[in-house]
Amino acid sequence: MTWLAALRPGPRVTGGLLCAAGFALLAWDGLLAAALGAELLATAFWWWARASDDPARHLPRWEWLRRPAAALWLALAVAAVAPAGAPGPWRALEAGAVVWAGLELLAALPLARPFSDLPGPLLALGPWLPAVLPAAGFVVLWRLQEHWLGVARVRDAAAALLLVTAALAALRAFALRRWTAALRWLAVGDGALAALLVAVRAVPPAASLLLWLSASGAHAFLLGAELSGAVPRRGPVLSAIWRTTTWAASAALAWPMLLAMGARFGARGPLWSLAAALPVALIAWVNVARMVEAPERRAVRRPGTGITLSRVAPLFALAGVPVALAIASWSGPPVGWAAALLALAPAAAGGLGGLLTYRGVAPGALAAPADEPPRTDRLAVRGRAVRQSARRVFRFVTAFERTLAGWALWLLRLPAAPLRDLHSGDAQEYLLLLVGVALLAVVLPLLR
Amino acid sequence: MTAAPALLLFLTPALPAGLALAAAALLLRLEHRGRPLATLGPLAALALLALALARAPLAGPALAPLAAGLVVAALARDRANLLHSECALKLLWVMGGALALSAAGLSLLALATGVGPVGEQWGVLRLGLTPRPVWSAALPLALLAGLVMLGGAPFHFWVADLFQGARPWLAPLAVAALQAAGAAWIAWRLGGIAGFPEGAALARAVLATAAIAVFLVSAGTLVSQRRPERRVGTLASLQAGLALAGLAATLAPEAGARAAAAWRLAPWAAHLALALTGAAALARFMPVPASPDAPGGALFRRHPASGLAGLFALFSLAGVPGTPGAQLWLDAARGLSAAGQTGALLALGAGWVAAFATVMQQVREAFGVPARTPPGRAVPWEARAALWTAGAGLVALAVAWRLAGRP
Repeated sequence: MTWLAALRPGPRVTGGLLCAAGFALLAWDGLLAAALGAELLATAFWWWARASDDPARHLPRWEWLRRPAAALWLALAVAAVAPAGAPGPWRALEAGAVVWAGLELLAALPLARPFSDLPGPLLALGPWLPAVLPAAGFVVLWRLQEHWLGVARVRDAAAALLLVTAALAALRAFALRRWTAALRWLAVGDGALAALLVAVRAVPPAASLLLWLSASGAHAFLLGAELSGAVPRRGPVLSAIWRTTTWAASAALAWPMLLAMGARFGARGPLWSLAAALPVALIAWVNVARMVEAPERRAVRRPGTGITLSRVAPLFALAGVPVALAIASWSGPPVGWAAALLALAPAAAGGLGGLLTYRGVAPGALAAPADEPPRTDRLAVRGRAVRQSARRVFRFVTAFERTLAGWALWLLRLPAAPLRDLHSGDAQEYLLLLVGVALLAVVLPLLR
Repeated sequence: MTAAPALLLFLTPALPAGLALAAAALLLRLEHRGRPLATLGPLAALALLALALARAPLAGPALAPLAAGLVVAALARDRANLLHSECALKLLWVMGGALALSAAGLSLLALATGVGPVGEQWGVLRLGLTPRPVWSAALPLALLAGLVMLGGAPFHFWVADLFQGARPWLAPLAVAALQAAGAAWIAWRLGGIAGFPEGAALARAVLATAAIAVFLVSAGTLVSQRRPERRVGTLASLQAGLALAGLAATLAPEAGARAAAAWRLAPWAAHLALALTGAAALARFMPVPASPDAPGGALFRRHPASGLAGLFALFSLAGVPGTPGAQLWLDAARGLSAAGQTGALLALGAGWVAAFATVMQQVREAFGVPARTPPGRAVPWEARAALWTAGAGLVALAVAWRLAGRP
C-alpha cells in the first residue's frame, strides 16, 4: 500500500482543498451550504495547525473558527424548525446567528478580534492566510443578506459593530510597522466597509460584491506579493500604480456607503457619516503613505520584462469599480454634485495627507542597512507619536472588550461550581438528591 | 423478501436491538477469548436487555423494575470488579428509591380515585371530587421513576458513570434498555390523560421543566467534560431530554396532531440502541489528550474507516445534520414549536449546539496531531466489527425512515 500512501496529499494540499471547497460552499446559496462551508474553513485551519511546526500554539489559536460554523448551523436549525411566517423572535434568532458568523469572521466581535495581528498556521503561506477570514465573513453576510437585512434591530446592531471594526482596523493598520500585518488589517477594513455597504443597502448586491472584490482583491494581491519578493513595490512606477489602485478601490468602496448613510439613518445620518469618514480617511492615508517603494536588491536593475502579473493585476482590480458604480447609479436615486463630492472628501483628504507625508526610498537606492538609526526629523517624530497613540487606543479597546467578555464568561461559569459541589460522586448522594427532587416535585405543584 | 421491506423492519426497535446485541456479543467475545462458557451468563443478561429494549414501546409498568433489576444484577455479578460494584450500588440506590417513590405516588392516586387502571383514574379526577393537592402531589411522584430511568438531569450522572465504569459490552445495552423503560413508564402513566385537561397541564409543566433542566445541565456538563465515555453518557442524557420534550409536546392542547405525531417511542428507542452501541464502543478507543498537540488514538491512525463508522454513531447521538439522530432532534424541536413551548425549545437549541460542538472537538482529539512514531497494536477485529455493525445499522435506519417517510 505504499503507492496509496504516496498518493495521499500532504497537509498543505488537504487544507487548501478544504479551504477552497469551504469558500465555494460559502458562495453557494442557502444556509446549509454556508454552514458546511464555514465548517470546512474551520477544518482547513485545524488541518494546517495540527501539521504546523508548533501545533500546541496554533491549535488553540484557531479554535474559535468553529464558532461561526456553529452559529450558521444554529441558523439552519432555526430556519428548519420555525414554521413559515414565524413570529419576530425566531426571525431575529436566525438573523442574529447569521450575523454572528459573519461578524466574527470579520473580526467585528470582541471574542477573537486581534487574529489579524498574527500569521496563520501554514509556514509558507502563514502571513497571508488570516486575510481569508474577513473575506469569508463578508461572503457570509453578502450571500445570506435576505436572512438578516429584514430584521431592523439585528441590521442596525451589525452596522454599528461594523463601523467600530472599520475604525479599529484602520487604526491598527495605521499603527503597525510591518506592512504585511497592516495589509491584513486593511483586508479587515475592506470587509467591514463592504459589509456596511450591504447593511445600509447603499447599492445593489452585485455592485457591493464588485466593489469589495476590487478593494479586498488589491490588498490580498499585495499581501501575497509580499511573500514572494514584494514585486508591486519594486520601482517607482509600479509602486505608484499600486498606490493609486488601492486608494481608488478603497475610495470607491467607501463612497456609496457614505452617500447612503445620511438617507439610511435619518436625523442620526450625519453622525454615522462622520463616524464612517474617519476610518475611510485613515485607510486612504495608509494605502498611500505606507506603501513605500521597496529598496532595489540588485546593483544593476533588471530591464523590464513586458507584461507581468503585478503590472496587469491593477487593471483587473480596478475593472470592477466603474461597472459597480454604473450599476449603483442606474439603480439608485440621482445624487447631487455637492453630496457626491462631500462623500468623496474623506478618501481624498486621506490620500492627499498620505501623499504629503509619503517618504519613499530614493529610486535605485540599495537596501538600507539593518542598523540604520531611526529618522529624527519633526515629521517622523510626530508620526511615531501618532502611531503610538493609535496603538494604545487599539490595545485599550481590545483589552476592555476582552475584560467584558471575561466577565460574561465568569458569570456563565458562576453556577457551575456549586452544581459540581452538589454532586461528589458518592452513592449516598444519589439517594439524597433523589429525595430532594421528590420533595420538590411534591411541593412545587402545590405552590402553583 | 426485497430490500425495502427488510429495511422497514428497522421501524421497530426489534432489529436495532438485535444488532446492538450482536455488537455486544462481539465485544464480550473479545473480553473472554478462549473461554466461551464464561460468556454464557452475560450473554443471557444481554439478550434479556435487548428483549426489554425491543418490547419497550408496548410495555407496561413492569418493564421498569425488571430492567433496573436486571442491570443491577448483571453489574453485581462480577464481585471482583469494583467499578461494576460501585455502579450497581449507585443504580440500586437511585432506581430503587425512585421506583419506591413512584409506587407511593401511584398508590396515592389509586387511593384518591378509588380505581386502579390508569385510564379510569383520569375520568374520576375529572369529576373534581378529589382535592387538587392530592393528585397534584401524586402525579409528579408517579412520574419520578421514569425521569430517573431516562437519566435526565439531575440524574444524568448515572448514565455517565455506567459508560465509564461498566464493561463496554454491557454499558450501551443497559443504558438503552433503562432509558427506554423510563420513557415507557412515563408514556404508560400518562396514557389517556388528555381526558383530564388539568392533569395534562400539570404533567406538561413537569415534563417541560424536566426537559429544560436536561438540556441546560447537559449542555453545561458537556463543556467541562474531557473523558469520551462520560461525554457519550451526557449525550445519552440529551436523548432523554428529547423524549421528555416529545412527551411534553404531545400533551399541549394547542399542539394538535402535528406535535402528537412528532414523537414516538419506537424510533427513538431504535436509534438509541444503535447510536449508543457505536458511540460507546468508539469511546473506548478515543484518547484523553493531555495537551492540544497530543497524537491521535491507534484506532484513527490504523483503522480510520472503522473510526469513521463509529463517529457516525457519535454524530447521530449529537444530532449532526445528515444523520438519523438529527431527524429526532428536528422532530422534537418541531413538536415543541407547534406546542408553543418556547422555553424548552430554546433549551433544546442550547443542548444541540453544545452536543454538536462537543463531537466536533472529540473528532479533533481523536485524530490528534500527526505523530512521528508508528501507531501501537492493531485494534481487535471484534471491536471494529462492533463499530461497523452500529454504523451500518444507523445507515439502514436512516434509509428505512426515508422509505417510510417518517422516523
